[in-house]
Amino acid sequence: MSLDLAAHLIDIIGAFLLITMIVILEAGDLYRAIYTMAVQSVFIALAGAVLGAATHNTDLWVIAGLTLVVKVFVLPWLLLRVIHRMRIHHKIEPLIPVTATLAIAAAIVMLAFYLSSSLVSLKQVITGNALPIGIALMLIGILVMMSRRTALMQMVGLFASENGIFFTAMAISQGMPLIIEIGVTLDVILGALVMGVIILRVKSSIGSDIADLDQLKG
Amino acid sequence: MDPTLTRWIWPLVQTALLVLLGPLVTGLIQKMKARLQCRRGAGILQPYRDLLKLLRKGTVQSDTSGSFFRVVPVLVLGATCAAATLVPVFFAPGTAGYASLLPLGDALLLAGWFALARFLTAIAALDAGGAFGGMGASREMTVATLVEPALILVIFSVAIVAGTTDLRVIAGHPVGMRGSFGAADLLALFAMLILLLAETGRIPVDNPDTHLELTMLHEGMLLEHSGPGLGCLVLAHHIKQIVLIAFVQALFFPWKAATATSHALIMGLGAFLLGTLALSVFLAIVESSYAKLRFFNLPQFLSISLLSSFLAVALRLL
Repeated sequence: MSLDLAAHLIDIIGAFLLITMIVILEAGDLYRAIYTMAVQSVFIALAGAVLGAATHNTDLWVIAGLTLVVKVFVLPWLLLRVIHRMRIHHKIEPLIPVTATLAIAAAIVMLAFYLSSSLVSLKQVITGNALPIGIALMLIGILVMMSRRTALMQMVGLFASENGIFFTAMAISQGMPLIIEIGVTLDVILGALVMGVIILRVKSSIGSDIADLDQLKG
Repeated sequence: MDPTLTRWIWPLVQTALLVLLGPLVTGLIQKMKARLQCRRGAGILQPYRDLLKLLRKGTVQSDTSGSFFRVVPVLVLGATCAAATLVPVFFAPGTAGYASLLPLGDALLLAGWFALARFLTAIAALDAGGAFGGMGASREMTVATLVEPALILVIFSVAIVAGTTDLRVIAGHPVGMRGSFGAADLLALFAMLILLLAETGRIPVDNPDTHLELTMLHEGMLLEHSGPGLGCLVLAHHIKQIVLIAFVQALFFPWKAATATSHALIMGLGAFLLGTLALSVFLAIVESSYAKLRFFNLPQFLSISLLSSFLAVALRLL
């Protein structure tokens, strides 16, 4: 596969990533957010595979496979299991109105383009929109974490943000070195497990979600 | 062929095709919906029969409504047909088309005709004095404030590349000039598909099948009309639907005949019919697999399309 074709494919995958991110941001339902996150990870894996085929870098194939297994199957399964165990109601309660977060997301994308244009000296593997889209995904993921009350939705935001970091890394270099990528993936799994345990403990001891933990009690 | 004749013949043929095929597309979507729900469903030609039945009936009018109320259906149908003249269906001469008079082909004018038709329908619904009509009109206009900016942004995102809002040129571009199908096109297409659901009054936004729910938007406005007037409004809705379907294809899948040779024309017509079929399947599947949204959740749903069309423009400009 030629690098031009790969750049074009990754451009299109970037658009799909943005669309899935918008849907995650808009989702009023935890199930929908989690499934969309899984779909987004499929596109990340696809991007890794495309870049791997173009640059003949076998590490990227391994990373793509790892993403597919961990982010598309294991993590969503884990989240759905926590929902099932907790029997929480799966409506998402935003801190600020969803339409307002969508407007902020638009501003974030503009900011990402502005930031990436000041990074022109950076040598990019994939030229074009990949770098700003990666930065935008990262920041919108953080926005999801900031603007939602429930811990599970914050986890979805974390994973989406991690997808953004991965995409940025692919745009700048040819993905991170394999050992770092494995480390990051393990960190994410570990983080998910710890957060899952904490959510369950919080739920069982005070019978509510983390949004109510805003006061210190002596 | 005589040049003055060719000026008129292509736009008229294409508009006539849209007007004639409009009810067929509705019938097709209803049939597919019925099959997806394991019903047998009415025949594909049912909308034509409904229209003929309505045109033969007499008119009943509420006492509060004025004479303007009777004119509105014809005006709405006229505005929608005018919109139909703007969209290239299978023949788009590109920049050579500047020589011809019609289709005028300006995409912003298309949005304008739709806005006029919507305004007239809403005004007539208020004129009749019924509670349902007023509710429907109020809701339709609320949706319109969200749909129209997104539609304009989608048009701009394509017009930036083509350098014009003239649909003949946009749809007539050889693929190389527009560049290949990129990220911005994809985002704009996504926004446009949501707009298609909203503008044709389909299920996440509006329910086209019911007349007796407080949730209805478009049907609520038509409640006070009857007979030929209702027929005109229903036909206008069919036409609006197929015009929007043709519009999506003109913006994003410009496989139109550039010259008037019979081979190219048949290819262009085939591409149009295939594209229409694909979009009808899309509408039928979405309508069978989703529930109608609460009205107060609509702004959230429609702002997805507003945001992605905005991003499409941003990707083009930045």
